[in-house]
Amino acid sequence: MPENHLPAQNARELTFAQAIREALAEEMRRDSTVCILGEDVAEAGTPFKVLSGLLEEFGRDRVFDTPISEAGFTGLAVGAAMAGMRPVVDIMFGDFVTLTMDQMVNQAAKIYYMSGGAWKVPMVMRTTMGATRRSAAQHSQSLHAWFCHIPGLKVVLPSTPYDAKGLLKAAIRDENPVVFFEDKMMYKLKGLVPADDYTVPLGVADVKREGDDITLIATSSMVQVALGAAVLLEEVGISAEVVDPRTMWPLDEKTLIESVKKTSRAIVLDEGYERYGVTAELAAVIATGAFYDLDAPVKRMGAMHVPIPFSPPLEDATVPTEQTVFEAARALCGR
Amino acid sequence: MAISVVMPALEMAQETGKLISWLKKEGDAVAKGEPLLEIETDKAVMEIESPGDGVLAGIKAEAGTEVPVGRTIAWIVNPGETPPADDIAAASGRKTTIAASSAAISAVETISASSPIQPIKISPKARRLASERGVNLADVRGSGAGGEILASDIFAAAEAKAGASRGNELAREAGERSSVARLMAERTTQSWTTIPHFFVTREADAGALNRARQRFRNEIEESHAAKLTLSDLLIALVARILRKHPRFNASWTSEGIRANDDINIGLAIAVDDGVVAPVIHHADKTELAEIAAQRRDLIERARAGKLRPTDLAGGTFTISNLGMFGVDAFTAIIIPPQAAILAVGAIIDRVVPVNGHPAVRPMMTLTLSVDHRVVDGARAAEFLRDLVEAIGNPQAYLDARAGDFRA
Repeated sequence: MPENHLPAQNARELTFAQAIREALAEEMRRDSTVCILGEDVAEAGTPFKVLSGLLEEFGRDRVFDTPISEAGFTGLAVGAAMAGMRPVVDIMFGDFVTLTMDQMVNQAAKIYYMSGGAWKVPMVMRTTMGATRRSAAQHSQSLHAWFCHIPGLKVVLPSTPYDAKGLLKAAIRDENPVVFFEDKMMYKLKGLVPADDYTVPLGVADVKREGDDITLIATSSMVQVALGAAVLLEEVGISAEVVDPRTMWPLDEKTLIESVKKTSRAIVLDEGYERYGVTAELAAVIATGAFYDLDAPVKRMGAMHVPIPFSPPLEDATVPTEQTVFEAARALCGR
Repeated sequence: MAISVVMPALEMAQETGKLISWLKKEGDAVAKGEPLLEIETDKAVMEIESPGDGVLAGIKAEAGTEVPVGRTIAWIVNPGETPPADDIAAASGRKTTIAASSAAISAVETISASSPIQPIKISPKARRLASERGVNLADVRGSGAGGEILASDIFAAAEAKAGASRGNELAREAGERSSVARLMAERTTQSWTTIPHFFVTREADAGALNRARQRFRNEIEESHAAKLTLSDLLIALVARILRKHPRFNASWTSEGIRANDDINIGLAIAVDDGVVAPVIHHADKTELAEIAAQRRDLIERARAGKLRPTDLAGGTFTISNLGMFGVDAFTAIIIPPQAAILAVGAIIDRVVPVNGHPAVRPMMTLTLSVDHRVVDGARAAEFLRDLVEAIGNPQAYLDARAGDFRA
């Protein structure tokens, strides 16, 4: 992670999981209405150990386990948020968000609008995404596009420990329902994170690496893939810019368009299914905003249109890798 | 009731027409069919007739402006009537005006339907840069994997252009060029880059041709007030020979070779801003005197910029004669969708062997440019052989038609 994105002081190296935990702890200390609910969030600290230690500090009233009942406890959170709490719901595997859809789509997303602003739903749903953990088709999907489609929901996809802490704190303080996707393969990713209280505003993209020849627009763990591909591309003389929108909604269209206007070429990378996925929306934003500066078609790269396989070699083939991005970028640059 | 005068669409893809001048003033009484205004399309300047009787009123477009096709530009009203404020009657008015020129439309449609436009593969950025920097895409070779023109190709082309100071002048000229010049640029580029040309050359003894001209020029000048030229004789001869060589009167289309029913000979004519090739229709069935009269009329109107779309439409074979400029020989660019064009050089006295002895003869060089998709070299040789033979004995071809001329 480039140094220039950080306040120099008080930064320590933390993992992605530790950055999430620190954001939650800081917000819970700051605001007594912030609470956590979900499956195995308390003693277990989630299967990914993201929440370890929070029960001990904040007690069972603010960190509590629920039965296996995603629709039920998500509805509970919507109601609690309407009643003045700031609940953070934990959906262990992103695949299970399917069970929460009515609460999120028809309730959380609509209430502020349908009540004429009388009620608000300042809740956060934290959940996971990402393949290659050998968890098979029902535990490996990246379903963030489902929420991006719904007006009234904000969708956040952090790609670094720094962004994860700053974005989660901003999400908790936001007055709207926010869905926060963490790639489960990134929990051990390390990066410098300030101990200070800081937020990363929702709706501001970040240029993770500057370049001149092609823009790699990437989300979540694909940002890391894009940065790796950029190093490979540099070796063959292609200067790649890596842009991370950080939030799918609100979307910082301006930064994406300006980058592509500079480089004239773009690949959009996302770990969700490529077909009808967020790559389509991002590519459309670029095609519209930077049309007269495009020197090649906008390329999309996402997960293959298949259930994620359990077989490790097959699973690895379904998602973009540094090598496939490298090759696609070379082809687009004609080299 | 007021009748609208609208900018007509004379060509299928026409979006705007340039209003050259109003031939009547606001408030003038006009009769249906009377020339009302002149417009310029890609191909010609054309008079538009009044769609009805009445008084010209409510002129909305000034001379010199580009007007979208279908827009009302004036009204024909009853005396005392005020023209409608809105464009409501435009749709019906459009029909009225177009009907007056339907002959022109159908003739022009034939041309556009049979000359497919070649799409250029180019990135949006490169297209924008080309337009900003005045780079002609026809001159740019694409470096993309599929031959697409990329931004780098435009930069290179723009740089090459800036290198030559003359290049800048040309670009400025191009910016101000008329539709004749623009059309010439487009058509020749399309032809040269899409038609596989080959060339076949032969010399012909023009002695008999000269004699035929001497013999009939006075008669034709008296009867048709037209001066008989060598071009007239060549038009007549080529048209008659084409009956025997239908391939040279055919067109390459996406479906293959299409034979054209009529033999319509175009004659390339230099005008101020380029070259035009007005057509003598059914030239194979037209008397020599009539060809001369039509040719004279076409040249006069071409030089005055008064050709009509019908004059330029439907050509099936073209003759380009630079003999009057003293050119010995040259090659010409085929006019799509035609299959061939004949380039005619000057008649010059040369020493040639006649019956084994050197003799001075008036010789001319004929160069045929041929679309190899339609015709092969052997057929081209046969065509030229027959043409040289006809030039050597024009009466044999022209006498065959009653009234062509009497020996």
